[in-house]
Amino acid sequence: MDLVVNGESYRYNGQATIADLLRECQAEAGRTAVMVNGDVVRKSSFDSVSLSDGDRVELIVIAAGG
Amino acid sequence: MSAALPDWLDPRPWLDLARAADPSVVERSLRSGEPGIREFAALLSPAAASRMEALAQRALALTRRHFGRAISLYAPLYLSNYCPARCTYCGFSAGLRIARHKLTPAELEAELSALKHLGIEEILLLTGDRAAVADYPYVRDCVRLAAARFPNVAVEVFPMSVDEYRGLAVAGCTAVTLYQETYDPVRYRQSHLGGPKRDYHSRLDAPARALAGDIRVAGLGALLGLGEPRFDLLGLFQHATHLRRTFWKSGVAISFPRLRPEPGGYTAAFPVDQKFLAQVIFAFRICLPDVPLLLSTRESPRFRDGMAGVGISKMSVASRTTVGGYDLETVPSGSQFDIEDHRGVAAFCAALEAKGLQPVFKNWDAAYREDTASVEAAAANGQI
Amino acid sequence: MTDGLKLGDRIFSSRLLLGTGKFSSTDAMIRAVRASGAELVTVALRRFHPGRPVDDVLAPLAAIEGLTLVPNTSGARDAGEAVRAARLGRELCGSPFVKLEIHPNPHHLLPDPIETFEAAKILVGEGFLVLPYMPADPVLARRLEDLGCAAVMPLGAAIGSGQGLTTMSMLKLIIRDASVPVIVDAGLRSPSEAALTMEIGGDAVLVNSAIAAAENPELMASAFAAAVRAGRDAWKAGLMPQSDVAVATSPLTAFLAGGEAG
Repeated sequence: MDLVVNGESYRYNGQATIADLLRECQAEAGRTAVMVNGDVVRKSSFDSVSLSDGDRVELIVIAAGG
Repeated sequence: MSAALPDWLDPRPWLDLARAADPSVVERSLRSGEPGIREFAALLSPAAASRMEALAQRALALTRRHFGRAISLYAPLYLSNYCPARCTYCGFSAGLRIARHKLTPAELEAELSALKHLGIEEILLLTGDRAAVADYPYVRDCVRLAAARFPNVAVEVFPMSVDEYRGLAVAGCTAVTLYQETYDPVRYRQSHLGGPKRDYHSRLDAPARALAGDIRVAGLGALLGLGEPRFDLLGLFQHATHLRRTFWKSGVAISFPRLRPEPGGYTAAFPVDQKFLAQVIFAFRICLPDVPLLLSTRESPRFRDGMAGVGISKMSVASRTTVGGYDLETVPSGSQFDIEDHRGVAAFCAALEAKGLQPVFKNWDAAYREDTASVEAAAANGQI
Repeated sequence: MTDGLKLGDRIFSSRLLLGTGKFSSTDAMIRAVRASGAELVTVALRRFHPGRPVDDVLAPLAAIEGLTLVPNTSGARDAGEAVRAARLGRELCGSPFVKLEIHPNPHHLLPDPIETFEAAKILVGEGFLVLPYMPADPVLARRLEDLGCAAVMPLGAAIGSGQGLTTMSMLKLIIRDASVPVIVDAGLRSPSEAALTMEIGGDAVLVNSAIAAAENPELMASAFAAAVRAGRDAWKAGLMPQSDVAVATSPLTAFLAGGEAG
């Protein structure tokens, strides 16, 4: 499916859930926050929420700053 | 006592300091840029009494800074002297045989006209404790009549509920004055022997209820001489700062009612002389520089003239403490206490002007407020 | 613990908060955090780009005992963005704290009072312990306190202005009237300014640039910690007041001589 990840087009060929996407991106589920179409997805839902074609995904981590 | 005193009120941690501060502590307090209760306590101490001129100079500078040279003037009007309370010190006590009266609407209108004719723009309406004949509806109706003529209508009546205060505010009441008399619960119980006024806590929390009910200013005071003055004054300071912190959009004001020796009458247990009263007023001005401080006609002309502008920023004038009495047609009934300054408006204003002060009859901020009558009409129609 | 900093239902012994940005390396930042004794540090949110590894700060920060992470919403330009950022931050940090920072203008970086107020209203309702970065305005401080913010964070000066504590008189008013802790943020250039902030009654300070940009950030961090403790102790001890010149006029109290008569 075609996704927009962090503002960029991303052709995603994996399984449908967020947990799967994170694995493919090599993002740690425990250290990454996810928004899909502007809504925050709770960590506990990573295995159950599925992605659809055209979804806008944001992957957010903690960094130095603030 | 500890169970009765809320933490925000408890003056006891500073009582020793107020009773016996070291002169060096007084000096530091006098010069402190951010005086708090500690500094206030020190300025109440006997050591501070030997620095009166310095206290007065500082009070003068701060009064000028925050109030300019203006002295705001108002007149009290007693609506009723019916009273179920039995306060040991009061001329309206239920136990005393005096002529009891309450103003009819027509009499009230006549009194209001007489006061307006004198040039007064702010009145303080008074009653005794909550009585069946002079209960909330009566007070509210009087406020409404008064607010139609006067831009500033304050009340000094009985403790009310938040809803009742809100009703007064809608009717045009701009300030509520209520003296705790004494902040010492034991002394309070000994002095208030009947009626709703026996309830220390309800009275203590009433100014907060007034501010929660959209009243703009809460006037506070302790009856000096009733309890140990330093205890009560520390409590009064705590009360004022607590209300200001909790109701940051509202104002507080402080008055200094003082038990005066009355021949054959009540004798104060802890008499406060003029010199100490002056010290107290200076201390409040120094530590609460932007709070209005009021002095009534209970004090002598000489004292009032001396204190005007030196701490004191607001004063009553041409007072009567009888029910009615401004209008020559109304027969005055039963006075609460004796007045010492009998000067009329013109004479008093001349005295203030001679001191370089400007008497002010404030009437302009009413123009910004919503017209009360239309607010009430809207309420009646269910629009608000 | 005596004299702890109370935020929400938590109590902290350190009154120095640190920002984690602008250090030369994660390692330098971690050493500075340890040296400062800070128990609260602010962190930022960044996008994770697939295939581009990000220097992980979460793990080394988590290794510091007793440290609470406070995500910062900086980058948000309005309340909606800030609320979203706060929710993301809560997912990541596991703490209910959020530093609400909304500055729409990228030059002076001054916080937007209206968006901050709106965001705070929402976030308090969602159970966050909101620490709003705000202009040094005493009325706004009370408004934010009334909403239920856990503290207020007035700025000492505009970020990067290098002008020292330009908002001192306003800070004093905020401190006088606040019932929640006042944490002065931004504009603190030196440990002495941090001490001064504590001497006037501030409850805590948040420092970032002054430590990160120092020649020796680790040493500067411990200097700031000492200054914050010194300032706090000075405030508790009661400072000697500056002398005040009274208005010189003729004696004001002559009328009191001679007792009560008249």
